[in-house]
Amino acid sequence: MGRAGPMRGVWLGINQGTVCFLLLSCFEALCRVASSIPPLHFLSPPCTRTRSRVGLFLDRLLSGLRHPSFWELPAKPETMLTLLALASVVLLGIVPEQSQAIVIYTGWERHALLGSDIRLSCSFFSWRWTSEDVTFSWTYRPDGSRDSISIFHYTGGAAYVDNKGPFRDRVEFVGNPGRRDGSILIKNLDFNDNGTFTCDAKNPPDIVGRPSSVRLLVFEKVPIQAGVITGAIIGVVLGLLVLIVVIYYLMRFLVARRVFSLSVSKHGKKKKEGSQQRQIKV
Amino acid sequence: MLMLAGIVVLHITTIILLLVAAIDNAWWITNTVSTDLWGRWELANSAWHYTNLENYPEDYLQAVQATSVLACIFAILALFVFVAQLFTLPKGQRFTFTGILQLIACLCIMTAASIYTAKFHTNEMEGGYGHSYVLAWISFVLTFILAITYLILRKKSE
Repeated sequence: MGRAGPMRGVWLGINQGTVCFLLLSCFEALCRVASSIPPLHFLSPPCTRTRSRVGLFLDRLLSGLRHPSFWELPAKPETMLTLLALASVVLLGIVPEQSQAIVIYTGWERHALLGSDIRLSCSFFSWRWTSEDVTFSWTYRPDGSRDSISIFHYTGGAAYVDNKGPFRDRVEFVGNPGRRDGSILIKNLDFNDNGTFTCDAKNPPDIVGRPSSVRLLVFEKVPIQAGVITGAIIGVVLGLLVLIVVIYYLMRFLVARRVFSLSVSKHGKKKKEGSQQRQIKV
Repeated sequence: MLMLAGIVVLHITTIILLLVAAIDNAWWITNTVSTDLWGRWELANSAWHYTNLENYPEDYLQAVQATSVLACIFAILALFVFVAQLFTLPKGQRFTFTGILQLIACLCIMTAASIYTAKFHTNEMEGGYGHSYVLAWISFVLTFILAITYLILRKKSE
């Protein structure tokens, strides 16, 4: 959980709405075409003897699409309205089930160099307004251990950082609770900081939510991501090949069309006949 | 006619060998480990497990991956261009484009096999090169022969 931004909830709602509307309108259109528009003769008369049922349906569909009355207002506005009412009831039924859960977003994995600082971001999406009692809390679980310790807590407008544990004096609050941002900054990373950081945010009365975790990996030097060099080499070579072929054919086309001046074109004509015999110098 | 069929068959064989060399899991084989460019199979308690490659110089490994994939791509492209040029080339001309593509494929697979030989498994005592590695070198020879053939061959002029 926690890969997209806070607009994801709104986007989901819009998505569902448009999909429902498109499905309903397609269904409506197909029904109208199949039932009301009379079939025009699309194929020539000798072919009608061997027309199958599928061919008949396709014929009516295509002729219906070309008929001018298809593109006007629907014949029965009442059916359209009832369908729209059904769709909105369905949507309103779905949406409230999602609206009461708070959704927390952090990164998935963070890579950092030994001795550097890292900002762990945490934000949330909630259907309620940001209350004044919003709380953020960060816990840390080292790699290979099952216990987590709490390293940061923000409540009642004040931030409380770790002052006894492994992160004492290294944690700083850099978030903005008013903008639903509860990010922390961890300074001077060490190999012992490898582990999972979990952010839990609560926005009363919206408190039901799943905490989101980000995994921190500390390296001496940042490794090359898998496949980057491979992809780069393949892409560059294939791109060069395509470019060379395009330029070659473009030059032949331009010379054949005598785009260049007369002196060059005389040379170019000879060049065109001779180029098929010579190797292409790349 | 016979020569044309022979060349096409040889080309297809070369493509198949290149694909096997790039994909199959046998560049370096020991009694318990079988690795290739993409991962390694390890035998543990009579069950094979597929794991990631480790202790490899990462940039050289990616260079070998890229060049072996490019060799396959260029060999397949050369086959298509050869068939196209059979129909479009004027009589008495050479199949230069096909020859050049095949030559690039030859260079790529040579680069891949050379980097693998020079940089990987230089200190290991046990184990040996597997059949994919051998096929890579064999396909280098075949692509080279085919490239020279295409560069010398002329389309039959009546």
